[in-house]
Amino acid sequence: MGAYAFSALIFAMVALAGWQISRRVAWWRLGAPAEVAWGRGLLALPRRYLVDVHHVVARDPYASRMHAVVAGGLVAASILTALAVLPPLGGSRLYWAIVALAFSVTVIGSLLVGARRYPRKPAKLSAGRFQILPFLLLAYAVGGLISAALLAWGGASAATLLPALALAAAGGLGLAYEVRRGPMRHAFAGALHLVAHPRPGRFEGRPDTALAPLDLDAPKLGAETPADLAWNRLLSYDSCIQCGRCETACPAFAAGQPLNPKRLIQDLVAGLTGDEASYAGSPYPNARPVADDTPPLARLIGEDARIHPDTLWACTTCRACVEECPMMIEHVDAIVSLRRHQTMELGLPPEKAAEPLAELRGAGEAGGRALSARTDFAAGLDLPLISVRGEADVLLWLGDGAYDLRYGRTLRALVRLMRDAGVDFAVLGAEERDTGDLARRLGDEASFQDLARKNVETLNRYRFNRIITADPHALHALRNEYRPFGGDWTVVHHTVFLLELVEAGKLAPGRLAGLSVTYHDPCYLGRYNGETEAPRALLDLIGVERREMARSGKRAMCCGGGGGAPVSDVAGERRIPDIRMGQAMETGAQVVAVACPTCTAMLEGVTGVRPEVKDVAELVLAAMETPR
Amino acid sequence: MKIVVLLSAGLHPVSGQSILPKVEAQALRLALALGEARGRHAGPTAFPASDALGHGLPHLVHVEIPAEADPVPALVATLEADQPDLILAGRRGQGGDETGLAPYAVASRLGMALVSDAIAVERGEADGTVIVHQALPKGARRRLVVRLPAVVTVHPDAPAPRAFAYGVARRGIVETRLAPPGLPAAERLEERPYRRRPKLMRSAPACGSASERLAAAMGATSSGVANVMVNPTPEEAARAILAHLRAIGVLPPKAA
Repeated sequence: MGAYAFSALIFAMVALAGWQISRRVAWWRLGAPAEVAWGRGLLALPRRYLVDVHHVVARDPYASRMHAVVAGGLVAASILTALAVLPPLGGSRLYWAIVALAFSVTVIGSLLVGARRYPRKPAKLSAGRFQILPFLLLAYAVGGLISAALLAWGGASAATLLPALALAAAGGLGLAYEVRRGPMRHAFAGALHLVAHPRPGRFEGRPDTALAPLDLDAPKLGAETPADLAWNRLLSYDSCIQCGRCETACPAFAAGQPLNPKRLIQDLVAGLTGDEASYAGSPYPNARPVADDTPPLARLIGEDARIHPDTLWACTTCRACVEECPMMIEHVDAIVSLRRHQTMELGLPPEKAAEPLAELRGAGEAGGRALSARTDFAAGLDLPLISVRGEADVLLWLGDGAYDLRYGRTLRALVRLMRDAGVDFAVLGAEERDTGDLARRLGDEASFQDLARKNVETLNRYRFNRIITADPHALHALRNEYRPFGGDWTVVHHTVFLLELVEAGKLAPGRLAGLSVTYHDPCYLGRYNGETEAPRALLDLIGVERREMARSGKRAMCCGGGGGAPVSDVAGERRIPDIRMGQAMETGAQVVAVACPTCTAMLEGVTGVRPEVKDVAELVLAAMETPR
Repeated sequence: MKIVVLLSAGLHPVSGQSILPKVEAQALRLALALGEARGRHAGPTAFPASDALGHGLPHLVHVEIPAEADPVPALVATLEADQPDLILAGRRGQGGDETGLAPYAVASRLGMALVSDAIAVERGEADGTVIVHQALPKGARRRLVVRLPAVVTVHPDAPAPRAFAYGVARRGIVETRLAPPGLPAAERLEERPYRRRPKLMRSAPACGSASERLAAAMGATSSGVANVMVNPTPEEAARAILAHLRAIGVLPPKAA
C-alpha cells in the first residue's frame, strides 16, 4: 500500500508539472510563428544536451558535477519510483534498495546545490526563489530516501511511512509547482528549447552566427513587444536558469554600463507574462530610471517602459553572453530585434548614431568620406584596381579601417607582404562601399540590405578566386550575411592567408626573438567565425614568446568596439578597452597583437603606459626584415 | 497653423548621390515641433524629397514638373491655393546648379516676409505670430517676433534632424499633383568658359616702393588695420612710434 502511495506521489508531481507547463505553453504561443524542424530536433536532443550543453556547463567544474549528481539522481529516483506501480517491482525489497540508492544520490546533489548558495551566495547567482530550491530538493530527496529505505527494510508502517512521504510530497510537489515560474522551469523549457533551437547550426559544428535578414515589407519591423519575438525565442528565454555566466562575461556589465544580459532576458520573460516572480539577481549597473510597473505584452523599450534604451544600446554584440550561456540562449538576436524596432519604426537610434547612419545612406560610408579616398592610405604603393584588371586571384577588401591613419599602417604592411609573396591581387577602390555591418547592428536593416545588394552586384561583376580582408566585421558580413543577397564567395581573414603564404614558403619571415606578445581575439573572428588558431600559429612561426590572457580564444573579452557601441557611447564607470588592456598587461607582454581595425582603434585609444598595439601583419612584416 | 516645408532634391556634398539636404530635414524637425506640417517639392520625381517621410513628415505634396523647369512658379501656384501660415525652407540649395534663391522668390511672389537663418521657431504670445531665433555670424543670436504669414529659412546650427526611419517612411503619404498648365520655363543660365581675372589688393597703397607696398599689404593682413605712413617726416615717424609704444604699454603714458 505504501509503495503505491509513493508511486502515486510521482504521478501527482508529473500531473502538477504538466498542468503548470500547459499554462506556460499558452504564453509561448503568443509569440510570432517560427519554422522548427521537430523531427531533426528531437533526434538530436540527446546529443545537443550531452555534448553541446555539457561542453559549456563543464567550464565550471563544480556546477557541472553538481548538476550531474542532482539532476541525474532526481530523474533516476523519480522514474524508478514511478515504475514501482508494477506489482513485481513494488513488492521487491531489493528494488526499493535501488530506489533508496538513487534518492541518496539526490540528497548529495541537493546538498551540493545548497553548499553553492549557503552560507554566502556568489554575486552572479540570483536569490529569491532560487534560494528555496535546495530546500525543496532536500525535502524531496530525504523524504524519498527514508520512504524507500523503509520499504526496502520491510519495516514500513503507516506511522513511519506517512511523515516521510509527507516530506517527499512537500518537496516534490513544490518542485513540480515551480515548473511554471520558478527555477525548475529551466528543465522543461530548456529541453524543449534544445529541440526547437532557432539556430540549429550551432549544434552541427558550424558557427551559426549570421543575423537573419528582415522582411522589409512586414507590417511591423523588429520587435516592439515580447509577442513580436518568435515563439521559440520566448521559449528560450524561459530556459534561463539565472546562473549569471553571461553577466560575468559581458563587457558592458564589467564597464558599469546599464546592461546585464541575465536581467535583460528576465525582463523579456517578465514583459510577456506580467505575473513573473520578481527578479532577484544583480541589476543593470547604474540602471537608468524606467517605468515602475508595465502591463504584460506592452512596448519593451523606452524611458517609460520596462527596459531603458541605454540598456539596449550598451551591447557590443560581442556574443560573449551567448558563448557562455549553458542554456544556449541567443541574447544578441533579441537585442538586434529590439534595436530594429527602435531604429526603423520609431526613428530612435542612439543620438550620435544618427549621423553615421545618414552618411551610410547618402555616401555609402559611415564617415561621409569619399569612397575614392579609401585607398589614400596606400599612397605610393600602387594598388591595382580590379576595374582595370577585370580579374585577379585575390580580391583585397579594405573595409572602413582604411580611412584610419593608424590602421592604414597595418594595411600597408599587408599589401607589402602580399607583394613580397607575389600574390596576384587587386582592390575595388572607389567601388567598395561599407559592408553595412554598423547599420545592421544598430538596427538599420534597410540600409544594410541596400548596401549588401550594391556590394554583391559590384563583386559579382568581377572574377576572383578569394576575398581577403583584414577586417573581421567585413569578413563576417561578406562570408555569412551576404549569402541571402546572392554573395557566395570564399572569404579569408588576412591572418589565415598570411599563414598559408608562410607555410607554402612564399614568405620567409625571420624570428623576432625576445619579443613577448599577447594576442587579442576579435569577437567577429573568434566567436562569430570560430577562427582562433591561424594568428597564433603565425606568431609562433615568427618566434615571439606568446602569452595568453586569462580570457582568450572563443572566450576572449571584447574591445568595446562592436555593435555600434562606439557611436552609441553609453556612459559607464570604466571604458571597455581599458579593462581589456588591463588584462593584456597582466600577461606582462610587450606587444598586444590585434587582427581587426576596430580592436586596433579601441586598444590604441587606451592612455597611459601600456604595451604597444600591433597587427599580426605588422609583426610578420617586422619579422621579414630580421634575419632568419 | 498651416505649415509647409519646402523640400528640394539635393546632392550629397561628397558622394554626389541624391539626398534630402540635411538642413531641410532640420527645418522639418522645427516644423513638426510647431504642429502638423506638410512637405512640398516640385521636381520630376518625389525622390529624394520623399526621404523626408522617414524623418517624420506624414504627408508630402509632390508637384510634378519637367526636370528642366523652374520650380518656383509651380510652388507658388500650389502654395497660393493652400494659403499656408508658415513656410520653412533650407537656407541654401544643395542640388548642383541650384541658386538657393527659391525661398526668396517664393516669398516675393506670395508677398510674404522672409526671415533667414532660423535655429528655433516657437509660437508667439499673440495669435498669428511666431518667435524666430536667428543665427548671426560669430555665434550671435537674435530673437524676432514675426507676424505670419512668413517664409523662414533654417540655419545648419538648428537642432539635428530626426533620424531617418525606414518604417516611418513606409507610413508617409506622397500626393503627386500635376503642375498647373502654362508655367514658364526656367530661365536658362548663360554658360561661359572661366576666365582668370587679376586679383586686386585693395589694402595696398598705389604709391611707394615695392617693399613698402608689400609691407603695407602684409601689415594689413596680419593686424587687420593698416597703419602705414608713406614717406613721413622724422618727427611724424618718431611721434607715431612713441604713441604706439605707449599704446602697447612699453612706455608709461604721457604725463598730462
